[in-house]
Amino acid sequence: MNKVRVERIDVQGQVCPSTLLLTLREVNRLQEEIRSGAVQIEVRTDNRHATVTIPGAVKSMGMTARVHKEENGYLIQIGAEKVQ
Amino acid sequence: MFDFTLVMLISLGLGLLAGGVMHRADFCMTATFRDLFLFRSTTLPAALLVLVTVSAVLFEGLHLAGALVQFPLPAYGLPSLASLCGGILFGIGMVLAGGCVVGILYRLGAGARLSLWGLAGLIAGSALYAEIHPLWSTFAKTTTFAAAVTLPQWSGLPPWIFVLALVAVTGLTIWRYPAAFVPPVGWRAVAGYIPPVYAALALAGIGALSVVLLGVPMGVTTSYAKVAAVLEQALLSEHFAATEFFQGQTLDLTLPLAAQPLRGGPGPDFDGIAAIQYPLIIGIVLGAALSAWHLGEWHGHEGATRRQQFSVLCGGFLMGLASRMTPGCNVWHLWGGLPIFAGQSILFLLGILPGAWFGGRLLLRWVLPDDHQGGRR
Repeated sequence: MNKVRVERIDVQGQVCPSTLLLTLREVNRLQEEIRSGAVQIEVRTDNRHATVTIPGAVKSMGMTARVHKEENGYLIQIGAEKVQ
Repeated sequence: MFDFTLVMLISLGLGLLAGGVMHRADFCMTATFRDLFLFRSTTLPAALLVLVTVSAVLFEGLHLAGALVQFPLPAYGLPSLASLCGGILFGIGMVLAGGCVVGILYRLGAGARLSLWGLAGLIAGSALYAEIHPLWSTFAKTTTFAAAVTLPQWSGLPPWIFVLALVAVTGLTIWRYPAAFVPPVGWRAVAGYIPPVYAALALAGIGALSVVLLGVPMGVTTSYAKVAAVLEQALLSEHFAATEFFQGQTLDLTLPLAAQPLRGGPGPDFDGIAAIQYPLIIGIVLGAALSAWHLGEWHGHEGATRRQQFSVLCGGFLMGLASRMTPGCNVWHLWGGLPIFAGQSILFLLGILPGAWFGGRLLLRWVLPDDHQGGRR
């Protein structure tokens, strides 16, 4: 089984709308690899709004996102549906 | 002298409620306009439409029931181009700051240190306005184009007709675009999250409480001018004494609970405005802090670059300046003025739209591109 490459983005403390802009930019750049299951994106953010906007946006692109609560914010994992 | 204690306690309570709701929903008025242009997102504009419509129904219902001492609500002036220009500048400023005048407060409460730059900008912008006030007030007077404060007054029609029309427009919008009004997919998975439309309903209720108990809708920005006045009085006392803006009175209302007059202005005194707005500001910050702490999300991250900090400072500065030029902030106009169809507030809305669009262009061009590369780990 091929190992999944993880691209990590940390936008904690940054001005809005850094989280959504940067995530969508990376998702668009890597969309083929994400859909194939070769890449996952992990976003660390303290933006509550992004925890609902990002899953909604990537779902419409045929991907899934899982939101995990962390000590100082959230970790959003974006990947192919079968990987999730 | 009138005892402000009850007024302050009410304001603090309203602020606590509003701060908690806004934090839980991340109910951001900046994102409402900015994301409409950047991402074609209609969730927050739909929530704002609900907030304005429900507020209009509540305000008019209270008016017809005789529960409001003054109607139209006090402190809204005659419409002029000053409100349109102020709206444009405010729209640019709030996008550069990443939050409006209350967005900065609830994010500060949740631990976002970046908001401190916005607060500093708001105070500095208010101080600059004091210098241009004589010139700007002349401009406002010469560009006033109606002798009525609200559309119902201007048209001679009763306000309820306008409220019914607004309800019909909102109803049609919900029927035509229902997806914009439903909570986002997966919202229940986010701890403590309140969908924007639910938050809009709660904030409309809090706004109605403010009108019933204090006689005015929520607003905070004169406080930033008052802080500027305190600083200027301490540091530049002679210049302060000669500055006309700080000597004026902008609020003169009858307090519903005590049937007493409540007056205030942008000067440094602890007056009626300070009694209403200072506790409201403290309440919003504390309400958001309590909400964040309860969710285990209180944080003090410092992830912003120098460029972002400068952007937030400039954005705060523009908002401070614009909120005195208009006069009034986005919460005052969108949550309080639009529901009574105030001409100033309609012009402010017309200004904020192109302002937010242009602010978004500036944000993408000058503030965020390099940071995006820096955000990758």
